[in-house]
Amino acid sequence: MGNWKRILTLLLVLAATLALAACGGAGEGDAGDALDPADASWEEILAAAEGTTVTFYGWGGDENRNNWLNTAVADYVKEEYDITLEVVGMNIEDILAKLSGEKEAGTQAGSIDMIWINGENFYSAKENGLLYGPFTQRLPNMEAYIDLEDPETRSDFCMPIDGYEAPYAKAQLVLYRDSAVTPEAPASAQELLDFCRQYPGRVTYPAPPDFTGSAFVRNIIYELCGWEQFQDMEADYDTVKAAIEPALTYLRDLNPSLWNEGRTFPDASTTVDAMFADGELLLSVSYAPFTVATGIDQGLYADTTETFVFDNGTIGNTNYMAIAFNAPNMAGAMVVINAILSAQMQLSQYETLRELPVVDSAKLSGEEQAAFDAVDLGQGVLTQAELLSRRLPEMPADLVPVIEEIWLNEVVGKYNG
Amino acid sequence: MSRKAFSRLVLGVTAVCVLAPAALLLVWSVTGRWPWPRLTPETYSLRTLRELLLGSGGFLPLLGSSIALAGATAALATAVALLTARATAFYSFPGRGLARFCGILPLLVPGTVLAMGLHLAFLRLGLADTVVGVLLVHLVSALPYCIAILTDVTAAVGLALEEQAAVLGAPPLTAFRGATLPRLAPGILSSMSMAFTISYSQYFSTLLIGGGRVRTLALVLVPYIQSGDRPLAAAYAAVFTGSALLVFALFEWAIRRMERRGAL
Repeated sequence: MGNWKRILTLLLVLAATLALAACGGAGEGDAGDALDPADASWEEILAAAEGTTVTFYGWGGDENRNNWLNTAVADYVKEEYDITLEVVGMNIEDILAKLSGEKEAGTQAGSIDMIWINGENFYSAKENGLLYGPFTQRLPNMEAYIDLEDPETRSDFCMPIDGYEAPYAKAQLVLYRDSAVTPEAPASAQELLDFCRQYPGRVTYPAPPDFTGSAFVRNIIYELCGWEQFQDMEADYDTVKAAIEPALTYLRDLNPSLWNEGRTFPDASTTVDAMFADGELLLSVSYAPFTVATGIDQGLYADTTETFVFDNGTIGNTNYMAIAFNAPNMAGAMVVINAILSAQMQLSQYETLRELPVVDSAKLSGEEQAAFDAVDLGQGVLTQAELLSRRLPEMPADLVPVIEEIWLNEVVGKYNG
Repeated sequence: MSRKAFSRLVLGVTAVCVLAPAALLLVWSVTGRWPWPRLTPETYSLRTLRELLLGSGGFLPLLGSSIALAGATAALATAVALLTARATAFYSFPGRGLARFCGILPLLVPGTVLAMGLHLAFLRLGLADTVVGVLLVHLVSALPYCIAILTDVTAAVGLALEEQAAVLGAPPLTAFRGATLPRLAPGILSSMSMAFTISYSQYFSTLLIGGGRVRTLALVLVPYIQSGDRPLAAAYAAVFTGSALLVFALFEWAIRRMERRGAL
């Protein structure tokens, strides 16, 4: 995705030059709401949001999430706040390209209210002034349900959030295999190496900068180099390369036993998932911790498919909701985001989509906690407690592209000795 | 092998090459699991049909609006292209070469760049996030092909019969409708089909100019292909292909009728 983003940026600059660069638009319309959300009270925000439409832009490739947003969330905000939720499927690169275009043209009232975002994209959007904020301190449910001291509430890929996005759901890297085909579940990098050697050509991972593939490589780095040293590491190619040298050696050791002998890697985690479903691969990686249960339900995976993680833990992150800098309905967006933070919606998300909730269990009532505990996650998955006890923090966002570049130069098609 | 048998063979092989993958789409759309190395799926599932018909995606309105948008693009692009073709084929005026060149210009600029440039312009004109804006950007993408098709056909048909009709006293429009239009029919059919296909399969430009507010089948289909949900992507693709073929059949029928009747 990284390359694609760079190309898009380049194209945008090119397009900007080609297009009517000379005629500077003064911008259209007014700032949207008459109400200034920065000084309004929550009651005023609620009143302003009533009867309005909120657009929520985010990745549209998950049929279950689309359905959940269009039914559970849309019904809830309609009933509680008389807000119509319009869900628009768009990749984050395209959303950011659209926002940059609108910023360039000086559009005061755009069309995007809420955005599904995290990590590098959040960092670049915030740096480029494409987001509205800070706003999370105004949402009552932040205080009511979210652990404000949690590092994942305060920072996203080690970048300070500063109130520009509110948590949506938690993700965690998991591995899975069909226990009927391969009973062993490698619980460490070393065991994974043995596994690959036992089944040559039947394991691979998505090529970074695929989101999942990139996280997998970082997880291998954590296995071999620990995670603490990266939290404040400078994003310098040579510094990072020196620090991850053991992991690079390991990944090159892995290559001869991988699919296509590590000369090439699948382009996306979805390709790896499909190859796993087809039985071409024996192991797959996912950033959706309960994906196996969904896959079994949909009949994509065999019933004997099981999730596992490394004993030393796997990387987890949170994805978030932000508001566009030129959102036409800021009040409405805040109300919907607040609604999604509620225990009721988080429970619904946990139940329907099997996503790790972002609510702090210490802040839940006994009844709410019992409802969360009663959720049947389905077959082949680890419990929330098992996952969270083996959860490792993400690296700083600016290290991610550096590691992806090093991987490309030092790992693909390279062998030790 | 006789020439006829040979051309039949070529036709048959081509048909299989095109139709076999399309038939595979139908199988995939009701597939549950299809592990290697099985020749046929292991399990079947009606999940995709349920999703298409009962899901929250609003499938039928989506199909209707996609066809309406592409149909409008086809009609407009063909009308504009026909006028352009006549102007550059039959009249000589200063800048005729330049006009011809401008007609194919959108082909020379990469689609992404074209869409992004138009997006900026449309933002200023207030056309971004509107159906009209999307129609215009589809029109720009389709025009070069339509102009190319119709310029050749117009030149081949020529003006002779129309002039003959004019000599016999027919007013210009009657002469055009009666003498030229029926003979242009095959070209018009190709042009309409081409423009329809181009509009129907636009993804990036629809996304950017329509801002996600103007929803088409392609816009919903592509994320499912990217996310690797093969049965659902196959189901959408089957509908996509099938509906386009139906529209082509409709075009074909209308044009043949026009040809037979000798006028519109």
